[in-house]
Amino acid sequence: MNKKLTRAVGLVMAGAMTLMAGCGNAAPAASGDAQTTAATEETKETAAPSGDAKKIGVLVADVSGEEALGFRNYYEKYIQGNYDVTFDYTDALASAEDEKAAIEKFASKGYDAIISLSSSDRAQQIETCEEYGLYYAIASGVLDDEQYEKYKGYEHFVCQIGPSNATEFEAGKAMGEYFKNQGVKKVALYGAFIPNPMHVFRAAGVLVGLGCTYGDANDMGAVVGQIFQDQGIDPTKVSGDVELVAYLQGYGDTTTDELNAAIQKAPEAFLSVGMATTFFAQTLSQENIPFADIDSFTAMNSQSMESGSLKYLAGKYSSSIGPVFALVVDAVDGNVIRDDEGNAVSLNQGYLVATDKASFDEYFVNDNGDTPIYDKETLDGIIGSQVTYQDVKSLVESK
Amino acid sequence: MSTPKRILNALAIPVATLVILQALCLFNGQSVISNMKSFDNFIVYTAIVMITTMALSINLNSGRFDFSLGSMASLSAVIGAKVTYMILSGGSGSAALMLMIALLSGVILGLISGLTYCILRLPPIIVSLGVTLVYEGIMYTITGGKYVMTEVQNQSMSGLTGTWIYAAFIILVVLVFMIFVFDKSAFGYDYNALKSGQKVAVATGINEVKNALVCYGICGGLMGIVGTLNAARNTTINGGQLNFGSIAIMFTAFLPMFISGYIGRFTNEKIGFLLAAICMSLLNSTFAVFSNTVNATMQSIINAVLLVVFLIYLNNKDMIKRLIKA
Repeated sequence: MNKKLTRAVGLVMAGAMTLMAGCGNAAPAASGDAQTTAATEETKETAAPSGDAKKIGVLVADVSGEEALGFRNYYEKYIQGNYDVTFDYTDALASAEDEKAAIEKFASKGYDAIISLSSSDRAQQIETCEEYGLYYAIASGVLDDEQYEKYKGYEHFVCQIGPSNATEFEAGKAMGEYFKNQGVKKVALYGAFIPNPMHVFRAAGVLVGLGCTYGDANDMGAVVGQIFQDQGIDPTKVSGDVELVAYLQGYGDTTTDELNAAIQKAPEAFLSVGMATTFFAQTLSQENIPFADIDSFTAMNSQSMESGSLKYLAGKYSSSIGPVFALVVDAVDGNVIRDDEGNAVSLNQGYLVATDKASFDEYFVNDNGDTPIYDKETLDGIIGSQVTYQDVKSLVESK
Repeated sequence: MSTPKRILNALAIPVATLVILQALCLFNGQSVISNMKSFDNFIVYTAIVMITTMALSINLNSGRFDFSLGSMASLSAVIGAKVTYMILSGGSGSAALMLMIALLSGVILGLISGLTYCILRLPPIIVSLGVTLVYEGIMYTITGGKYVMTEVQNQSMSGLTGTWIYAAFIILVVLVFMIFVFDKSAFGYDYNALKSGQKVAVATGINEVKNALVCYGICGGLMGIVGTLNAARNTTINGGQLNFGSIAIMFTAFLPMFISGYIGRFTNEKIGFLLAAICMSLLNSTFAVFSNTVNATMQSIINAVLLVVFLIYLNNKDMIKRLIKA
């Protein structure tokens, strides 16, 4: 009887805690608690004034991805080594609540600005930074048009510099077209972290590039709208010459089973809209399945490209987030740069594409270690009290 | 009951599972095991489920519910991966070395968990919850909350789960070990005596503390193997599992534990674990076949429903038999 009772109680508790663990997720180191929130109340009106070294909090959702690690190395090793600045990274932020709590904690510690690489709720991030008087910039992804229109006039919203949603779509489309032109007939698709807008636009682009329709639509707006509505891609709604044999998204307890299921369906290529190079490179290489990703030019991806398993990479180089840092520094120093209409700066950055080791190395070697593309000399050109919007725009468009 | 009848009864559930799932797949023009890759996955998953179920059952059969199994698997794997990488840098033999270190770490973690229970004399559920949080915290500190990837992404590790052979060998070794230790050794006799009647067993001179500690140590060692297999299969270890995030690892063992309890009436309990794990692996392979239509959420729901249905059957089988006869 006792054993039965123990089993029953244990089972119920295990179930309940599995649910709670799923709902709660890991709390970030920089996330707030009750004490932090109380402390931040005192600092709500204005953030503490800057000391000698500028202090910038960085919001991150991904702490392990190749792209994220490349960005982090650039800020923490190169930028921190060349400028009087301190970056403080959060742990993996899993939700909008975590993002808000992290900003509040940075505010309570007297930080000057926030750079965001996390996108659970960008609108709330901007609102929170505005509330606490922290300068805010987006270094990965951009706001959708409606959001940008709403927030572009906010005093502390400095800039968003990165691929626009249309650019994300085109990057996915180019990847899809590449494999279609290679004669591939069966593909598996990894949707990364859909409904993250960046990944939605890329995935929509891949489907269109493959010549497929999604729910009988093949234009960007309609496909993107349906993916947002479905919160993923429903393979049964995909039709076209290229067959989507498997689809998976996210990363968690079931991902390995989903990946194995995809591999069992023998796809001719595995297309990913982000982070496959981080999670799946080893398995896909072992199974000799060519794969493609939208990621960045890093050492690990270089190995995959050299081994021949990574066939296509649309990527950013790690120092591409340099101009965001420069604009934040300008803002903290009192030169809040605005575009010609007096709004927060919004500039588009494109992707670089490599399909072999030679083209990969062209970008990878040129943006490495102590010699990034956005090096100190280049960034100094857009840091200062006399820097204008045109200076920044010209530089970003030239790279 | 005669031996042939026992064999038939023991095989009834696995065979019925295979027939039903294969029929389901054939109806859709597919097969449960469609190619060599799916067979590899089938055996590896069987090994993981069987060993986890064994680890869960060892203490549970003695009335000790151990929530810390998942955290032991993850932490021992992290320790194994980090130490192995320091020694071999991902080179040849990494998988074997990691397996040994994780197994050893698991035994130590299990013993610590057991010692905590024996010293504190608190209900095992409470102790194991605390131990889980501590182990998850240690793991988070070691990994910084990041995925452990570089250390487990190498040819040796992918070879461990890339073929069914190693998993089958591990199943065989664990099965032989468990049968010998729990059914053929003095420790096993003491364990079974304590399981059947603790007070009487202690009165005959059996040292229950020592027995409990060995049980916890074996559980930890088994979870070290599970941690290594999971790391090789997933090509990562999630170092950011806090707030009981590691419990999901052991949750997969509940349904097979109840199935093996039923099968164990007709055969050796350890063989029951294997057969129950095969049932779960068949189900997992079927989910892979229907992955485009049955998503991960649906799969979790189906697993939970099957667990509830099986428990309803176990607790009402006499009434069901009467209803059928009527």
